[in-house]
Amino acid sequence: MTVVDSPPPRLPVRDRATAHQRAGAGVSPMLTRLAEERATGVLDREHGTLHLAEGRVVHAESPLAPGLDEFLTAHGTLAAEDWRDAEDSGDGGRLLRHGVTPGALELAQASALYDAAYFALAPSSTPGRFRYGTAHWLASVHPVPVAALERETLRRRALLRRIWPDPATDGAPLIRAAPVAAPAVPPRQAAVLEQVDGVRRAADIARELGRPTFHTLVHLRRLAAAGLVSPQPPPPVLDVPPEAADPYVALLKRVRDALEAL
Amino acid sequence: MPGIDECLLETMRLPGARGAALVDWTSGLALGTVGDPPGGDHETAAAEAAELARLAAEQHAFGPTDGTDTGDPPVEDVILSNRDSYHVLRFVPTSFDSSVFLYLWLARADGNLALARIRLGEMAERLVLG
Repeated sequence: MTVVDSPPPRLPVRDRATAHQRAGAGVSPMLTRLAEERATGVLDREHGTLHLAEGRVVHAESPLAPGLDEFLTAHGTLAAEDWRDAEDSGDGGRLLRHGVTPGALELAQASALYDAAYFALAPSSTPGRFRYGTAHWLASVHPVPVAALERETLRRRALLRRIWPDPATDGAPLIRAAPVAAPAVPPRQAAVLEQVDGVRRAADIARELGRPTFHTLVHLRRLAAAGLVSPQPPPPVLDVPPEAADPYVALLKRVRDALEAL
Repeated sequence: MPGIDECLLETMRLPGARGAALVDWTSGLALGTVGDPPGGDHETAAAEAAELARLAAEQHAFGPTDGTDTGDPPVEDVILSNRDSYHVLRFVPTSFDSSVFLYLWLARADGNLALARIRLGEMAERLVLG
């Protein structure tokens, strides 16, 4: 019997100094690689889908973000049947013939793309899948380089954190809160606040208003910071201490949570 | 008028134009940029201008007084000047409730503020109405 007395090999350890750098290099290494090889096709991720053409992102979809069709039809810019006509034929030119101007189409498409991509590029628990294929029918409207899209997604995350560091309002059903001294609410935030009914989440409110979901997240974080909106608390616990109902205690708790999240 | 880039390039034909951008004031995203960036970086300039635009758009005091206004936002433009340049922010009305403005950086020596303001208003309208 031989006795092995040499120490076991060292486990590989990530160099902490470069780990941060690596993480900052790209939101999705796979997407960066696809951009480098100028790929065309569809990247499916957990929270959304990115369409690529020649390595640039040309379209994005997410169950959490309203689509281009919803932006255009929600406010009467385009009739729903005209959208279906254009989509079925795969001809972006038909949208223009139905009265959407090129500027409006590009503006709406860019808004929808960045909005859906923000969710598609959110950290996911499952690996992405890429299918090579043909370009999306709206590929020529507003292509975005992958690096620019990733930079913007990181900037958007930082923006939300800066407004109010607690992400709870992003995904939970929302309720209106009664702050001690309610500040005046600007019109766009007021429209969001009106939709808060204890059931709807940010994505539902965005759909209802025909606005990008990220914009709704921004408004909701401002409303949360002002103490006007809070996420629906988990199912009631019976032994609630009586001071939980005290608005000053609620305010102090929010301040504590915000400080801890900084 | 065609898309965003063509609109911005036309903006750059104004005398004294240094740089221009189309910016979303809720997210701070520059949807298009041309020319030189104020402050050295288009993305930072867009985010900072977006903050200014948002403040102007959200304050009740800056709206018209006749009480009939249903415009969104109630403000048409924001003009900021310094020793050597003007910054003109023109809100773009869209039929689909977006929150964008045209942003022009204008040299004070060769720029004509009145002309720039009128032309930006026309371009904001043509960008979405064609």
